[in-house]
Amino acid sequence: MKKKLLCLSLALACSIAFAQNQNEEDKRNYGTLTGGFESIVQWYNDDPGLGKFAEDEHVRSNNYLKLDYNIGNWFAGIQVESYAPMPLLNYSPKLDDTDIAQYYAMFKNRKLEITVGYFYEQFGSGLILRGWENRPLGINNSFRGARIKYEPSNSLSFTGLYARQRDGFEVSEGEIYGFNSEIDLTNLFKLETSTLAAGFSYVGRKEDIPEQFQNTGFDELTNTFSVRLDYSGNSFYSGIEYITKSKDAIVNTQRYIENFVEPGSGFLVNFGYSQKGLGIDATLRRLENMSFFSEREASGNVFNENIMNYLPGLTKQHDYLLTNIYVYQAQPTISVPDPSLLKFGEIGGQIDIFYNFKKGTPIGGKYGTKIALNAAYWAGLRGDFNFTDRQANIDYFGFGEKYFSEYSLEVRKKWNRKWQSIFYYVNQYYNERFIVDKLGVVNSNIGVVETTYRINSKRSIRAELQHLWTPDDMKNWAGATLEFNVNPRLSFYVNDIYNYGNDNEEDQIHYYNVGGSYARGATRVAINYGRQRGGLICVGGVCRFVPESTGFTLNLTTAF
Amino acid sequence: MSIVIVFLMCTIQANAQKNVPNITVKNLDGSTLNMDKITKSKGVKILNFWATWCVPCINELDAISEVYEDWVDETGVELIAIATDDARTKKRIKPLVNGKDWEYKILLDENQDLQRALNITTIPHVVVIKNGRIVFRHTGYFPGAEDQLYDVVKKNAK
Repeated sequence: MKKKLLCLSLALACSIAFAQNQNEEDKRNYGTLTGGFESIVQWYNDDPGLGKFAEDEHVRSNNYLKLDYNIGNWFAGIQVESYAPMPLLNYSPKLDDTDIAQYYAMFKNRKLEITVGYFYEQFGSGLILRGWENRPLGINNSFRGARIKYEPSNSLSFTGLYARQRDGFEVSEGEIYGFNSEIDLTNLFKLETSTLAAGFSYVGRKEDIPEQFQNTGFDELTNTFSVRLDYSGNSFYSGIEYITKSKDAIVNTQRYIENFVEPGSGFLVNFGYSQKGLGIDATLRRLENMSFFSEREASGNVFNENIMNYLPGLTKQHDYLLTNIYVYQAQPTISVPDPSLLKFGEIGGQIDIFYNFKKGTPIGGKYGTKIALNAAYWAGLRGDFNFTDRQANIDYFGFGEKYFSEYSLEVRKKWNRKWQSIFYYVNQYYNERFIVDKLGVVNSNIGVVETTYRINSKRSIRAELQHLWTPDDMKNWAGATLEFNVNPRLSFYVNDIYNYGNDNEEDQIHYYNVGGSYARGATRVAINYGRQRGGLICVGGVCRFVPESTGFTLNLTTAF
Repeated sequence: MSIVIVFLMCTIQANAQKNVPNITVKNLDGSTLNMDKITKSKGVKILNFWATWCVPCINELDAISEVYEDWVDETGVELIAIATDDARTKKRIKPLVNGKDWEYKILLDENQDLQRALNITTIPHVVVIKNGRIVFRHTGYFPGAEDQLYDVVKKNAK
């Protein structure tokens, strides 16, 4: 592994020397090479508080080196990934190698773009297709194949692709066919102060059917269609999207359910109003059997692999430790493990309000006061399932079991040149039985106070106090953070969340962390020592389960 | 391993990325925009990569917002706030920007194509460009970083 990396960095050094010369001469063009490198090294140790580290390999690392080369209209690149000696805890076991994980070559001019190799793509809002990368979540759902994008005019754009999906260092069994069109109707309707756009997409997934499930009412090829319309005016905007999925076998926790075949659909409406100092946004969504995988049997896998579309939980994304314990995840799947746990999909929505109390008003004070409100409500689709003839009857606009609700209020206030604060309150209802298959529901209230004090123009201190109140599940939590910013480049922090309310005294654990970071230019080095809370780690409405651990983490990122 | 990293760092120091790749991003009304529209125009510009869910990003843009008028008057700088929100949170961008009364130009990098092309792994991340060339980059925000940023802008605006 070392040898490979060393060779690579040597090659890099040589090509960079080239690039340098070219800058100086400016006569010959050898193109430009850019890239990025990220390394996360974790050393897990035995912690008397959490128990012995029972897995193989105490020291593990994830490393990513990305190189892109461009000359004129031509682009090419690779991504080398190294999981040595093993990937970090709870990354997919398929990531067990050091190798070139992705490569691409692309030609691009004003109207045409042709890519072969690995690429990322999103159609519309991603409800029908999205290939993306998120390293902290261990997600890389890029596509390997060929893609053509064509823009005959400013108001028309078309994309066609054929691919298999990345799956560890391999690709999926299933083949993917995609077509997307975006049509700007603004000029057609001669709109002057607003825009109107339509979109149409098709995505097909073709995968062999195991022999015992052949001729049971679904095809190798599963077809999905999406139509969209978006309007944006001066202060009002709205969008609507409808998706259908053809009949396909229902697969739960990676196993086919015999003779259970259903179509799927999705419906998304969004509208909002905004003017200076005020913004309102509302989103409603209904998903029925809309999970879509590049391999049928990947349905329900815990590593978020083979997911072809993007179905995030539409709730506010929080940035504080205790607000991220009970996080809603979208429930798009049909799942019928037993008569008391029938799930057909989800229906619900959320509303956001942003308001700025102006400077000089009683509430605004000298610097103004900013508030943000969010309310979200999600329920299961109401329906019935007949276990003998495998028949589901699902209401279109019926609200069934309540899954989740949340109300939050954020107030930001600057007191004077030195002091500013954020107040944050969240009320949550979290149906553990239906969301994560545990018992019961959790009703919780969370309060956060954050204050920053500027010592001088470079130096500052930030403190956070958090508390979570709940009579359910693991009971009360308290948390605190203290951050000392030495200068804009160097910072240290210590934080702790403490489950002091837990009924079981052994589980009244402090999850403490201490660390620091140094950033210069496009390079950032961060170190951390502490305990990781077990449970769901969520980014962008997608969650990954991580076990508890204690250890030292080194994170290096750079771009060049 | 560590030797390799040190070696890599050295080569990296020698050659920082100078150009912003010509990636297609979106305006808030959904229309597309190629980055060369921005990099081909003269002057000093700040590209600020942020997201509606990122608290330090909002802190930074709020802090700059208070002095932004002075910055523009004194140096003619333009701040372009590039939201990396995906489908989950992008609908919040418009009401949030208006609710906060920000005067920035807002662009949307929905599937993080531009972020990836610039090898940005953590936000907030600022990139200062002068006549289309990258002259400064910084990751993370702590109070006071906006003063350091303005020093860079002033130096390059001369």
